[in-house]
Amino acid sequence: LADTLADSRDRFFAAAPPPSLYPSAGSGVDVTFIVGTLTLANPVMPASGCFGPELGRLIPVRELGATVTKTVFAGARGGNPAHRLSELAAGMVNSVGIPSRGPAGYLRALHPAYQALGVPTIISVGGHRPQEYAPVVAELLGAGDAYELNVSCPNLERGGTDIGADPHDLRDVVAAVRAETDKPIIVKLPSMISSMPDCARAAEDAGADALCVANSLPSLPIDPLTRRPALGNRIGGLSGPAIRPVVLRLVWLASTAVTIPVIACGGIEAADDALEYFSVGARAIQVGTASFARPFAAVDIARELRARCEAAGVREIAELTR
Amino acid sequence: MLRPPELTPRAEPTWDDALVVEHEVIDGYYHRLVLHSPSITGRATAGQFVMITVPSDGGATVLLPRPMAIHRRRVDTGNLEVIFSVLGRGTAALARIAPGDSLLLTGPLGRGFELPAGAASVLLIAHGSGICAVMTVAEDARAAGMTTSAMLSTAFRSTALGEPDCRELGIDAVFVAEDDGSNTIGLITADLRQRFDTSPPSVIMVCGSGALARAAVALGQRWRTPVQVSVEAHMACGLGYCHGCAAPVATRADEEGPLVCRDGPVFDGYVVA
Repeated sequence: LADTLADSRDRFFAAAPPPSLYPSAGSGVDVTFIVGTLTLANPVMPASGCFGPELGRLIPVRELGATVTKTVFAGARGGNPAHRLSELAAGMVNSVGIPSRGPAGYLRALHPAYQALGVPTIISVGGHRPQEYAPVVAELLGAGDAYELNVSCPNLERGGTDIGADPHDLRDVVAAVRAETDKPIIVKLPSMISSMPDCARAAEDAGADALCVANSLPSLPIDPLTRRPALGNRIGGLSGPAIRPVVLRLVWLASTAVTIPVIACGGIEAADDALEYFSVGARAIQVGTASFARPFAAVDIARELRARCEAAGVREIAELTR
Repeated sequence: MLRPPELTPRAEPTWDDALVVEHEVIDGYYHRLVLHSPSITGRATAGQFVMITVPSDGGATVLLPRPMAIHRRRVDTGNLEVIFSVLGRGTAALARIAPGDSLLLTGPLGRGFELPAGAASVLLIAHGSGICAVMTVAEDARAAGMTTSAMLSTAFRSTALGEPDCRELGIDAVFVAEDDGSNTIGLITADLRQRFDTSPPSVIMVCGSGALARAAVALGQRWRTPVQVSVEAHMACGLGYCHGCAAPVATRADEEGPLVCRDGPVFDGYVVA
């Protein structure tokens, strides 16, 4: 029976490099990614909202550098009405609205499943006002290995005026969370931002350990048949390969403005896309939309980046782009 | 409540590079693909679906996979079948798939149709490609010794989608169509009342049309029969982690409602129709 039920997933799991090769033993290749006090075995992780513990059954999650949770908000929230998705030629627009059970609900219902995946858990934290973030981190009671502050989700009620687009608000948020925890803080910045260098520096000055650039692009897709908004919430966030050149520019601006590492997030489907981001200064990447069509996309990229380093005889991924 | 609690745990989904064994074009409109995936075929229950990743087609890529109901399970050969019509870029690309190609499938997914304990007979009501979502029920019903009847509606009389399956599975089916005016709700309801008022089915399973689902619920109320309805939604992941496929039901502001992929696609007809 085991033979008849064999499938491609089993072969993909079996193709995992032996644990001794991870992160860097012996081969001379070092793909580790350091964010604050945390060292990830490799620089590949899922984008918040595009991963769940369900994927632990489908892909060898232990080959990722970390997992990133869906954003946890202060209160419980149900998310947006249907439709929540609209697909375009090279991207998708979502207005999921980030359903959340609040910190206590997350700890009870989700965190154990994330912990069981065997890699560090980065908990995404959100808020509607700057003062909401630190209490959420406090209520998480030290759970998680790092926090990613979602100061940028463009599809919530504040359409267009994200907290993270204002350097002063951003500084307040990061400073308050810094006072609450010693764990690494990643700040995920909005894609629509008047000055990326100013916001990046504000986050760094207030104590962020890394930046994640960037969140999806605020969008308003129209149903071509009805000429009415295609999404229940009208406004959504555009992701996928369509936004890669936009985010490449943002990553370049951010990485030249700060000394903390920049994690790139935007339309990465393959190792070559990741290397585009490394070439403009990123030191880690997140994979989101690509996982929907190819659940194993992020693991594939992690394997490929390492294999490229070995084949080229270089020590670090960044050397592949020089 | 959208469904009673699940009595048996669902099989874990997997993904598989499935060989395309056969591609039949039905009446120039529908496409039937036979896909070889013993692991997904062997684990699928009635009414479940697969996500099909659309292969890149001459450089053009389709970003999201397409959810498709499992039309037939052939456990002996490890083949499953899906049926679709060309609606957009994704299905247009899938319509160019040839035998010998392979397709990335993820499945089996979702909570499908469930035959109630002690059921003696089942009535299938479906329209268009929704017909392929209910055939697996007939497979189970036959194995359990139940009788299956069906009211199947298509756009064109000449298509009679599902006709070979009904013959193979011994389904007592009536075919109606839009082009000859035989598929109006009034005619369908009158026919079903005539056939079943004296001896109603144990359960009604519906897919493919909101109007048919509402008509089925009206009949279910008349006959005191449960109605299960399979619904469609735009999906990205098919597993539940993207939260993209909110079910079409009223929900609270502070609690997420059911997802079509994870909590459905089959729901209690009295709630969703």
